Amino acid sequence: MKKYIISLISFFLLLTSFQKVQEILFVIPPNFPTPAYSFEKNPLTTEKIALGRALFYDPILSRNGTISCASCHSQYTAFTHIDHALSHGIEDKIGTRNAPALMNLAWHTAFMWDGAINHLDMQALAPISHPSEMGETLENVVEKLQATAHYPALFYKAFGDSLITGEHTLKAMAQFMLRLVSANAKYDSVMRREAVFTEQEQKGYLLFQQNCNSCHTEPLFTNLAFENNGLTVDTSLQDFGRMKVTQNPADSLKFKVPTLRNIEFSMPYMHDGRFKRLNEVLKHYEKGIQASKTLSPKLAKPIVLSSNEKVDLTAFLLTLTDRHFLFDKSLGYPK
Amino acid sequence: MKQKYLFWSLFWLNFPLFAQTKISFLPVFEGKVCWVSVENEREIGESDSIFVEMLRFYVSDFALLHKDSVVWKAANSVHLIDLAKPQSLSFCLEKTENIVFDKLQFNLGIDSLTHVSGAMGGDLDPTKGMYWTWQSGYINLKLEGKNWLCKTRNNEFQFHLGGYQMPNNALQRLSFSVENKQNIEIQVPIADFFNAIDLSKQAQIMSPSREAVLLAKKWAAVISVR
Repeated sequence: MKKYIISLISFFLLLTSFQKVQEILFVIPPNFPTPAYSFEKNPLTTEKIALGRALFYDPILSRNGTISCASCHSQYTAFTHIDHALSHGIEDKIGTRNAPALMNLAWHTAFMWDGAINHLDMQALAPISHPSEMGETLENVVEKLQATAHYPALFYKAFGDSLITGEHTLKAMAQFMLRLVSANAKYDSVMRREAVFTEQEQKGYLLFQQNCNSCHTEPLFTNLAFENNGLTVDTSLQDFGRMKVTQNPADSLKFKVPTLRNIEFSMPYMHDGRFKRLNEVLKHYEKGIQASKTLSPKLAKPIVLSSNEKVDLTAFLLTLTDRHFLFDKSLGYPK
Repeated sequence: MKQKYLFWSLFWLNFPLFAQTKISFLPVFEGKVCWVSVENEREIGESDSIFVEMLRFYVSDFALLHKDSVVWKAANSVHLIDLAKPQSLSFCLEKTENIVFDKLQFNLGIDSLTHVSGAMGGDLDPTKGMYWTWQSGYINLKLEGKNWLCKTRNNEFQFHLGGYQMPNNALQRLSFSVENKQNIEIQVPIADFFNAIDLSKQAQIMSPSREAVLLAKKWAAVISVR
């Protein structure tokens, strides 16, 4: 009898521990701060993440079924759109900004280069509705999904309801985007004392800390703030960034500081993709900063580096490449 | 005995009704109740005419007060009033007990906390067409139509009033004296709003702005309890 009770207890313990393993769908990397996303309002589940992933890769979100999120956010380029300074969407229409790389979004409180979107749940609405991106409406998306053979079942699995809503569509997509965590670069291994920098990388790290870290702050490699980094205004775009959202002249020419993680694969750089190579970026901070009333005080002095220092700094920046993230099959096109 | 039984039966049958307060929004145009439809062209003044194609607005955070203290508050109460959907114009405040009150308060629009709380369902589902897509935020009020005064294409006016961040927070809190009323009728006199603005000078507002806040105040000012 005793044996029977012990076996039964063991079985239940095993079952509960198995359930707990199943529930761990988001791990905060040890060197990362607390995420900003309220997980309690949209608790992660395997089914919701799978649904979000299916939606992320499905061109059904666009008006003519040609553009998916992944069209401009490819995994192998850190979920951004390379080869194009300004991303192109439906019917080859060109937008006005460089598609941002997507990663570590759980720590962000504002999205887009100008922070126009205030919550990750609502992010997908913008590209779905933009006439040059997907040119669709969420109402139509919901209607199209409902009419498919497979989505009502996927929504049922995820939300217990096969009636598809905008809320559930957006929440599922947010769940997949929350899974885009990049925290396994060589830099992270060094921080966890599992690896060491080479001498050159170490020198580059010191240069980074002295010159770049105030905006591209570790460990996210962005301070999540909006800064004017002294770029000249592209007169064909007339993009004044954050000011459009806040209508405050003090925000003129300020854009969200992008992360430097996976920068090796996320070219081109800047909000309008004007620089194709990292050395062009370094050259800008050395000689190209345009003075203005809203220029970040952190850039009051140009960042002047010797040729060797630039090589060292670049060597460090390459340690931010996270191949686990770039080739993680669970984040790729669903099979 | 029979009478006593009948009295208590009626009492308990009616009790849930006493615990409810029915709220009805009455769109009126120059004193007459109106709905949004093709025929909804009404005269303003002697030679003016106006066509209202769409009128939708959010009301939220209903509360009952007694002697200026909140005695009851609705949980997550958001309603999208749509003149094209008569069923959206009335609803009940589901109170669990009879409460003595002398004032009703509610918001015209959606509060800033809800704005930053992610995707919502029901009347707040973004598929309802009351959420800006290029910039986060609910549209508190959509009023669209035509009037010959409008110096716009096809003489159209489009007012999309919203904005949750200061200094352009368009949310308006309304307060009305309603002594223990079980049926509260809230008048929405559309013509009064048009009389308070100048369509020849302003026919379009599509984003949060100072002008949007001013118009939201004018919209709030015409609403009354009958």
